Formats: sequence, C-alpha cells, structure tokens
Amino acid sequence: MERSLSCEEVLLRLDDYLDRELSADEMALVAAHLADCAVCASEQRFEAGVLASIKDKLRRVRMSDTMRAQILARLRHPDSP
Amino acid sequence: MTVGQTPTTKPPQPADIEALLTPLLDAAYGTALHLTREPADAEDLVQEAVLLAVRGFKSFEPGTNFKAWFFRIMVNAFYSKYRKQKRQGTQVELEDAPELYLYNQTDAIGLHSRVEDPASSLMNKLDTESVSAAIAALPEEYRMVATLYFMQDLSYQEIATMLEIPVGTVRSRLHRARRLLQQALWKVAEDRGIVRALADAAREPA
Repeated sequence: MERSLSCEEVLLRLDDYLDRELSADEMALVAAHLADCAVCASEQRFEAGVLASIKDKLRRVRMSDTMRAQILARLRHPDSP
Repeated sequence: MTVGQTPTTKPPQPADIEALLTPLLDAAYGTALHLTREPADAEDLVQEAVLLAVRGFKSFEPGTNFKAWFFRIMVNAFYSKYRKQKRQGTQVELEDAPELYLYNQTDAIGLHSRVEDPASSLMNKLDTESVSAAIAALPEEYRMVATLYFMQDLSYQEIATMLEIPVGTVRSRLHRARRLLQQALWKVAEDRGIVRALADAAREPA
C-alpha cells in the first residue's frame, strides 16, 4: 500500500512544500493529503496567500530614475569618478 | 589595472554586463533597502556592488547564474561595509514563534467562517511599509535570508551559496523568519485597529 502522511507530518513539511523544496515523492505525498484533508488544505491556502502577498508588497520597491541613470552611466564608464 | 587579455580567452564584454544587470536593478535596490534599512545606504550598497561587479566581471563565467553571482557580491559588500557597526543588534532574544500564527489568529476572531480568503482579507489591509518594517525588525541573520527569499525567486540552495552557509541553515532560518514575520504583522494589524475592524466585520450579520 502506498504511504500516506498524517496532518502533523504535512504541517512539518508545509513550508518546504510551499517553496517546492521537497523531493518529487514528498511533494506528491503532501499534495495527496491536501486533496483529501479540508483543514490542511485551508492552512496551505492561507500560508500560500500570506507568502504571495508579502512577496508582492516587497517587490513593489523601485529604484529612482536618477539612481538608475547613475548606474547605467557607471556601467558604461566604470573608471570615471 | 591594465587589461591583459590572452588570445585564448574571450572575456565577457562591458555591454554584456549592462544587459545582464539592468533587469536586476529594482530587485537589487529593494534587497539593499531591506538589508541596510536606510535608502541612502541602500543606494551606496547598490552602487558599490555594481562597481565591484563591473571590475570583477572578467571572473564571471558566461552561462552560469549571473543573478546569484551579482547578489553574492552585494551580500559580501554589505557584510564588509555595514555589519560591524550593526552587529550589536543581532543578539535578539527571540520569542517563541508558533506555526500557523496568522491562520490561528484570524480563525480566532471568526474571519474564516465569514470570508472566502481570510489571508487576503488581512494582508490587503497591510501596506508595503508595514511589511517592510516587519522585515526590518528581524534579527540580521533572519533578515538576510528572508530578504533574499522574498525579493527574488531563489532556491534554498542558491541562497545558501550566496551566503556561504549550509542549506539546512537557510531552511531553518527562513522558516523561523516567516513565523516571526507573521507575529510582527499581527502586532501591526492590532496596533492599527485592523484586527478590531476585521473582528467587528466578522460579527456582523451576513
């Protein structure tokens, strides 16, 4: 019979699962559990939503046009003062 | 230093680094901002990293991961320039950081039974500044890993290579940083009345 994971075992792997840092076998085991367990699936959706939102907000930071121009100038003329 | 190219090697050309670096500039600045926590320092750090990258570009092997190569230069520049003066801030007493903190808190105020997507209900009320401040408040070793993770799509192994630490250390620091961040974000939400507003909304009749 194929191995399956308990809710506790899934929780231990949740961060790695969200980051796709588990082996293919383990990814499949967690996915199989999430397909069957509404509570773990809701936890997984929540955690994924929080992570995506943090990434989205932090990545809105933009370099100023002045600084971008200075850097491009430096790339073209690296030895100028 | 004069450029003494041997005829057998074809070093990367300055035009190559411009093409490789330009798409990374916003991420470089954002990363530098979270590492240094000061816009002026972040600009200096990016400028310095760019200069070091230009000067060291001959050592970049074409076809390998330029992003990892460049950010490693920036991380090293950060360590050598800023770490000494801020080192005293790193030994922070860490409170216990439980799993699923925001999930359990939002469940406790009744949000889960009222909205389809409780994570978005909470996170949409937190602005970029709040999230940045929560990252900035992390102890340095956690802030470093979390910044590289959140600002860019890097694997644990890529982060480990950049920081020259074991991948298991990246994993444990990152997981812990996420829990600390969740606690910090909930604190912000409480302080700004967001939690009370969400709880009130959850109690209203449908």
